[in-house]
Amino acid sequence: MIRFDNVGLRYGSGPEILRDVTFHVHPGSFHFLTGPSGAGKTSLLRLLFMSLRPSRGLIFVFGENLADLPPAGRAALRRRIGIVFQDFRLLDHMTTWENVALPLRVMGQTESDYADDVTDLLHWVGLGNRIHAYPETLSGGEKQRAAIARAVIGRPELLLADEPTGNVDPAIGNRLLRLFVELNRLGTSVIIATHDYALMDQLEAPRLMLHEGQLQVGASQIGVR
Amino acid sequence: MSFLSDIKDYPWTSLLAGILPSRIAARLPERFQAPSSQIVPPASVAGRALTVVIAIMTFLACLTAGGVYMVHQSASAWVDDIASEITIELNPLNTADVEKKMTLVALFLAKQPGVTRVTPMSADDSAKLLEPWLGSTAALSALPVPRLIAVEIDRSNPPDMKVIESALNQNFEGVTLDDHRRWQSEIKTITRSTALGGIVVLGLVAAATVAVIISATRSAMATNRGIIEVLHFVGANDRFISSEFERHFLGLGVRAGLAGALAAAVTFLLLPFLLHLLGGGAVTEAETRRLLGTGELDIWGYLLLVVIVVVVAALCTITSRLGVFRVLKSYA
Repeated sequence: MIRFDNVGLRYGSGPEILRDVTFHVHPGSFHFLTGPSGAGKTSLLRLLFMSLRPSRGLIFVFGENLADLPPAGRAALRRRIGIVFQDFRLLDHMTTWENVALPLRVMGQTESDYADDVTDLLHWVGLGNRIHAYPETLSGGEKQRAAIARAVIGRPELLLADEPTGNVDPAIGNRLLRLFVELNRLGTSVIIATHDYALMDQLEAPRLMLHEGQLQVGASQIGVR
Repeated sequence: MSFLSDIKDYPWTSLLAGILPSRIAARLPERFQAPSSQIVPPASVAGRALTVVIAIMTFLACLTAGGVYMVHQSASAWVDDIASEITIELNPLNTADVEKKMTLVALFLAKQPGVTRVTPMSADDSAKLLEPWLGSTAALSALPVPRLIAVEIDRSNPPDMKVIESALNQNFEGVTLDDHRRWQSEIKTITRSTALGGIVVLGLVAAATVAVIISATRSAMATNRGIIEVLHFVGANDRFISSEFERHFLGLGVRAGLAGALAAAVTFLLLPFLLHLLGGGAVTEAETRRLLGTGELDIWGYLLLVVIVVVVAALCTITSRLGVFRVLKSYA
């Protein structure tokens, strides 16, 4: 599904943020991407999500070499990936429902086709009573759940989440983790970038550990080569 | 084709709400309101200042195009008119009995082949022609104003002007023939110059509009950079993102274009009165009326204003699309 071969990344002429990163993610797997602050977790996620180009090495996403992919092809691949940002990135002028429906709208689906799905998903993530609320009126946890709902509404094959529990209290963090596990059980591959060890200890999942720009594979190596 | 799909997809029922002031627009029925769920907020793309600028551009373009059209129509009518007529001028100096000579010349002309009508003009009629330039007819009675005979000719079978001129010169002293060729040539030159000037002005207005839209597109994209990023993250391609901006610029073009064209149409409707009010005296008013005719625009002239609205809307949409693609390319 995802393959990194000796990937390096530097910003401009600065030092390499990521060095010789090589790993392979299989369909249906669940991984934590961890490491201290500034280790390059967000940069690695941005490479996975094609919002950055590697300085060297090869990245294959769903079998496509990103180096050979035109912008239109990149957009098509992104539709197969859901992403949850640490800062949510909800559009403030749109309601929760409209934010969650955005990926389906982008795919060209008509509102009558997806209206029930969006409403059902919002109920499933516990935002049934916040459908018409605007993001600025939502709490941190509600925003996080809305961002997750937006990431999964298009039934992505891969879900990337950047510090999804960073802005919520432990109880909501646990609830969100259960949500990710449930999605994984339904067939979505999940990569969660976090430095919350308490969160990682709750789940038996392989850890991709970044340290000084290099990737090490953690003790639990299910699905990682 | 995508311009056509933009037109098809545009929420036209909300156009009225876009033209009216927000306080009045808010009172319109719900189906006339703008859709609330637009991905790119309309206010972040087309502010009131931009709408006013495009409306002014459209107004200027409509005035120019309408003015050129009017001059062209007036000149065509004038050329048509004088092409079927020649004028005989009789110098009253050294002529003992001018009225008798006028009658003799008129009779002579009426016998010529290709002449359909001969109308000798009275001294008063001749003086009236000079009135705008020289003042009231009473003051002209003391002057040796040339006497004129209007001769209508059969355009399908025109007389030989050289033969008539030669015969007149042989038989009557102090009589000259004017077949208006010099005037026709001058009118055509003026019409061509006016049209050329109009095209230059239209070109400048179009260039200014394009420059304003390019600047507005860049500004709108910078303002909405966060939204563009989110759209990219949820899998939107450049075409989708572009269409979100284009839709607003299409609406802007139509709203501002209609406002500008409406203002121009009102100006044209009031032009006959304005010509009188702003004429600056009898001579200027007479000259202006010669150039613009009655100052009224016919139905084809008003259709020309509609065409300009369509062109402005297309210009706004296409320019914004090219601008969005260029900026998106720089993001990539």
